[in-house]
Amino acid sequence: MGIFNRKKKSQLYLSDRQELTLFGKFGVAASHIVLMIWAVVIIWPLTQMVVSAFNGKQSGYLILNREFEFSLKHFEHLFQETLYLNWVWNTIFIAGATAVLTLFIVSFTGYAYSRYRFKGRKASLMTIMLIQTIPTFAGITAFFTMHSIIASVVPQFTRQMMLILIYSGGAIAANTFILKGYIDSISSELDDAAKIDGCSNMQIYRLIIMPIARPMLMLIGLWSFIGPFMDFLLPRVLLTSPRSYTLAAGLFTLVNDFRTMNQPAFAAGGLLTAVPIVLLFMALQNQLASGLAKGSVKG
Amino acid sequence: MNVTMKKIGKKYEGRDEFTLKDINLEIENKDFCVILGPSGCGKTTLLRMIAGLNSITEGDLLFDGKRMNKVAPKDRDIAMVFQSYALYPHMTVYDNMAFSLSMRKERKQLIDERVREAAKVLQIEDNLYVKPSDISGGQRQRVALGRAMVRNPKGFLMDEPLSNLDAKLREHMRVELVRLHKQLGTTTIYVTHDQTEAMTMASKIVLMDDGKIQQVGKPEDFYNRPENIFVAGFIGSPTMNIIKGSIQEGKFVSDNKLMTVTPHKEHQESLREFEGKKVSAGVRSERFEAGGKYGDTIDVDIEVVEMLGKEKILYCRMDDGHQLTISTPGHYDYDDGQRHSFGFDLEAMHYFDQETGERIN
Repeated sequence: MGIFNRKKKSQLYLSDRQELTLFGKFGVAASHIVLMIWAVVIIWPLTQMVVSAFNGKQSGYLILNREFEFSLKHFEHLFQETLYLNWVWNTIFIAGATAVLTLFIVSFTGYAYSRYRFKGRKASLMTIMLIQTIPTFAGITAFFTMHSIIASVVPQFTRQMMLILIYSGGAIAANTFILKGYIDSISSELDDAAKIDGCSNMQIYRLIIMPIARPMLMLIGLWSFIGPFMDFLLPRVLLTSPRSYTLAAGLFTLVNDFRTMNQPAFAAGGLLTAVPIVLLFMALQNQLASGLAKGSVKG
Repeated sequence: MNVTMKKIGKKYEGRDEFTLKDINLEIENKDFCVILGPSGCGKTTLLRMIAGLNSITEGDLLFDGKRMNKVAPKDRDIAMVFQSYALYPHMTVYDNMAFSLSMRKERKQLIDERVREAAKVLQIEDNLYVKPSDISGGQRQRVALGRAMVRNPKGFLMDEPLSNLDAKLREHMRVELVRLHKQLGTTTIYVTHDQTEAMTMASKIVLMDDGKIQQVGKPEDFYNRPENIFVAGFIGSPTMNIIKGSIQEGKFVSDNKLMTVTPHKEHQESLREFEGKKVSAGVRSERFEAGGKYGDTIDVDIEVVEMLGKEKILYCRMDDGHQLTISTPGHYDYDDGQRHSFGFDLEAMHYFDQETGERIN
């Protein structure tokens, strides 16, 4: 024992893995280099965007030069000369409504597919999965027609609402699978226990399953919230007036039309777009990371 | 609570065969009834039918004479303990135990009283405000029991509640469950595949196999008077030695002619009508005897000796290779490779009709 004790702590090899051979060390070095290049490829444009957004020397077209003068004038331009606040509001409204609608329906469909056996269960699940493979944009003519039919009956039905329906339609299909898988992993003995304890099916859903599935619900909510922020094509085609644009479609007008061209403002707008998502993510991160299902049943 | 089952049968959707058929069973008030059987015999299905979690395809289920077939689980006044405990992971231990009462809209004060009382009996008072994930398996087991107790139900249903515990804790909880049953006097129906649990805890054992009840009775009946060959082979460890043979001139002669037994005079009467017919003889490992005072003996080679401390288990072979398991007190001197002759305790012999598997004597 004495010999081992005398050995200094720093010399002890503590990892459970085999010590690296020379060849292995080269491998590690190579993969680090690849990862670093990758990181630069991602980070460099982002830093350029951030820098240009605050650079008072930039105007109209972005020019890569070394001159830098801190200024908020591009943000001022964004808020005063463009409909930026409108776009933010539109996007948050569309994203929020999409997330709420998706969560509401997915929580039911996921629960039903996981816990009930009914005719056409397998077939409908397969259909949902297959339909996913067709890009949403392929249905654009159908969306137009549907909108004009509905709008002719209910004039209050705006194109933004159509957009919400399209987004949540896609999200519901994809996330039904994910949530079904998650609820499948919750032991059905919990349902039985709740039934004996006096719960109706609706109460099992509300009091037992939903709280346990909360991390997954949060994730689904977050994803479907982020979706509309990222999408450009649908709002660009479907929304007609600049006032009703989402952020992506609105900011695009700052780089594609020489009359409204202002690339630094585009960079500034892009930077601000991240703010709501980051805030939401921070608010939810505890929920997302918790392993609630642990300890219910012995695994 | 008196539980009566009349010709109960169960057929699952999408299956051709009945899982359970013609189950007739009477469980008295305050019984500790253990439903025992190998896996897949339908014992859990039967319990879930009693709980109302599975529907009853045919027959009647009566609690105290009232038909329960269509009554919802929550209105049957029973509580169930699950194999996996099924504690609600997002609630504290206290809320887990209080849940069923609060679903019934009981007063807060009453709920609190009941939960604390149960926690005291089960010694989990210190863990009331933690989540189930923060306590050990044994404590979770107690919480699951506590959740069943707080409602003061008329019946407890337990589905292999001890199978997830380690051996030491299981032994401990076994005693504790019996103690709890004595204290509360609640009718308990307990499902297990472990014969030790059945033998030690039950006031009544129901042994099932292949969707049918094989035998109902007290633990000692099961050991000393198994009603058919399945029960004889299932109950007891080491497994009962069963030797195939026939009755010739009033004696049991094994098929390999190596073993002849002159039946005890109490058995001779019932064996008489099986003269010349195929019969299996069963003898428990501890009912062999080395002195040869009963006359008939059999010569065996000892192959393996298992030393368990208080007893030795000898795995022996007859001259034709048929295996016999014999247990002797631990201080007797036996070694592998030796040849010995053993006699049988004739009074403790079991005889079964080979055609039907039913007990003869």
